Amino acid sequence: MTHVPSKLHPRLRRIAADQYAGWSRLGIQTQFYFTTLRSTPDVAIRYKSEMVRLIAQMSLGTGALAVIGGTVVIVGFLTMSVGALIAVRGYNQFADIGVEALTGFASAYFNVRLIAPLVAGIALAATIGAGATAQLGAMRINEEIDALEVMGIRSVAYLASTRVIAGVIVVIPLYCVAVLSSFVAARVGTTAVYGQSTGVYDHYFNTFLQPADIIWSFALAVAMAVVIMLVHTYYGFTASGGPAGVGEAVGRAVRTSLISASYVIVFMSLAIYGQTGNFQFAG
Amino acid sequence: MGAVGAFFAMSLDTLVAIPRRPFALREFLVQSWFVARVSLLPTLMLAIPFTVLLVFTFNVLFLEFGAADLSGAGAAFGTVTQIGPIVTVLVVAGAGATAMCADLGARTIREELDAMRVMGINPIQALVVPRVLAATLVASLLSSVVVLVGLVGAFGFSVFTQHVTPGAFAASLTLVTGLADVLLGLLKSALFGLSAGLIACYKGTSVGGGPAGVGNAVNETVVYSFVALFFINLILSAIEIKVTL
Repeated sequence: MTHVPSKLHPRLRRIAADQYAGWSRLGIQTQFYFTTLRSTPDVAIRYKSEMVRLIAQMSLGTGALAVIGGTVVIVGFLTMSVGALIAVRGYNQFADIGVEALTGFASAYFNVRLIAPLVAGIALAATIGAGATAQLGAMRINEEIDALEVMGIRSVAYLASTRVIAGVIVVIPLYCVAVLSSFVAARVGTTAVYGQSTGVYDHYFNTFLQPADIIWSFALAVAMAVVIMLVHTYYGFTASGGPAGVGEAVGRAVRTSLISASYVIVFMSLAIYGQTGNFQFAG
Repeated sequence: MGAVGAFFAMSLDTLVAIPRRPFALREFLVQSWFVARVSLLPTLMLAIPFTVLLVFTFNVLFLEFGAADLSGAGAAFGTVTQIGPIVTVLVVAGAGATAMCADLGARTIREELDAMRVMGINPIQALVVPRVLAATLVASLLSSVVVLVGLVGAFGFSVFTQHVTPGAFAASLTLVTGLADVLLGLLKSALFGLSAGLIACYKGTSVGGGPAGVGNAVNETVVYSFVALFFINLILSAIEIKVTL
């Protein structure tokens, strides 16, 4: 048995090593993100068919998710349920002070600025993002990524950049579905369930709906999709530790991407709407 | 359709097994500590942007109306009734339930659960019950953390960035949000935690097909628990209004 001389200050050393590992992980992560973004032109030139395949897969989902209608249905369902929540909460709270006519305004204002981006981000991270991590993680565990590299295929461009581009392309129609279904749910909830006249609802809805806000919220959705896909591909790409490792990577990726996506929304909203909020009450 | 039936069958089995002895106390404590540990930091990180965004949107409106004094009421209302439970379950489902599902899924494909059954141990009682209860307990505890952090964040943002008077903010906190809302918020979080735990355990115990299978099971856990969360939230909010108004 060989004897290893004990080191000076073992605890201090361990803490320092942990700190160092943390910082280098941050560096590696940043490097991965830049490599992914830099490789996007490669995708457009070399891996077009893979990108098209991924777009089809992402919008409809795979496996059991495809059975219930895929990503489109899940995003639509989530935003519909919060749109209906606007009807339920907004109508009743406004009715409390006798201005339930303003529910249309609540839908036009809160749906566009607050709810549709947040919920669409959550839905994207859960469906497309977590799916990408699960796929890439399984490929990493089965050493398929190493096989790709041996064959001379640029693995980051082929696996990660294609997914980021596909995510950005898919998010635009998905976000249309999200916004529309939240509007429709709020309108149906208010007019059909609570019995407000459609004319009153539409008047306040149209008065306060600002087209510029909707355009900006599309910009938010695209930025969110980039961040979410980058985070999820990174965690999938670096999964380790067998089947349980893939699952853990998915969990960690969901956590990280939810946090980073919500910070992106906050800072972009503050930047877009400014401190005064760019809100015209006079309509 | 068969999967839905199997899920409800397992949920029923779990509920029946909860009062049955021996209760897996050690596993329950370990799991509670585990869920709390992985969820605490993400909860804080997620609670702050959500409330800041909410308070920002509400305050823009209040400032326009000249009712900035009421910003506390908007913050308390949004945080206690919606953001508290939702952020809690996003984190419990995204962090705790995924890890549970990955762990159970790895055990299932290594046939450890079958080995337990052969040894006469009911995996539902030994593994599923403590996990589901742990998710429920931690979710209800975490939601109070979210509310506290959210209100402090909202206070800081309103007072220092949007120049709301601190006293007016504090005074209007309880204007529309009462004890009933707080209790219902906690109840909601507990229900969300329960459903996230059940979904994670169901997907974990029914995986097949190697690493890709576990990855897909975790992915489906996230999707289904988010869908269940929003659905339960809608129904409970409608009930809540009937109760509190």
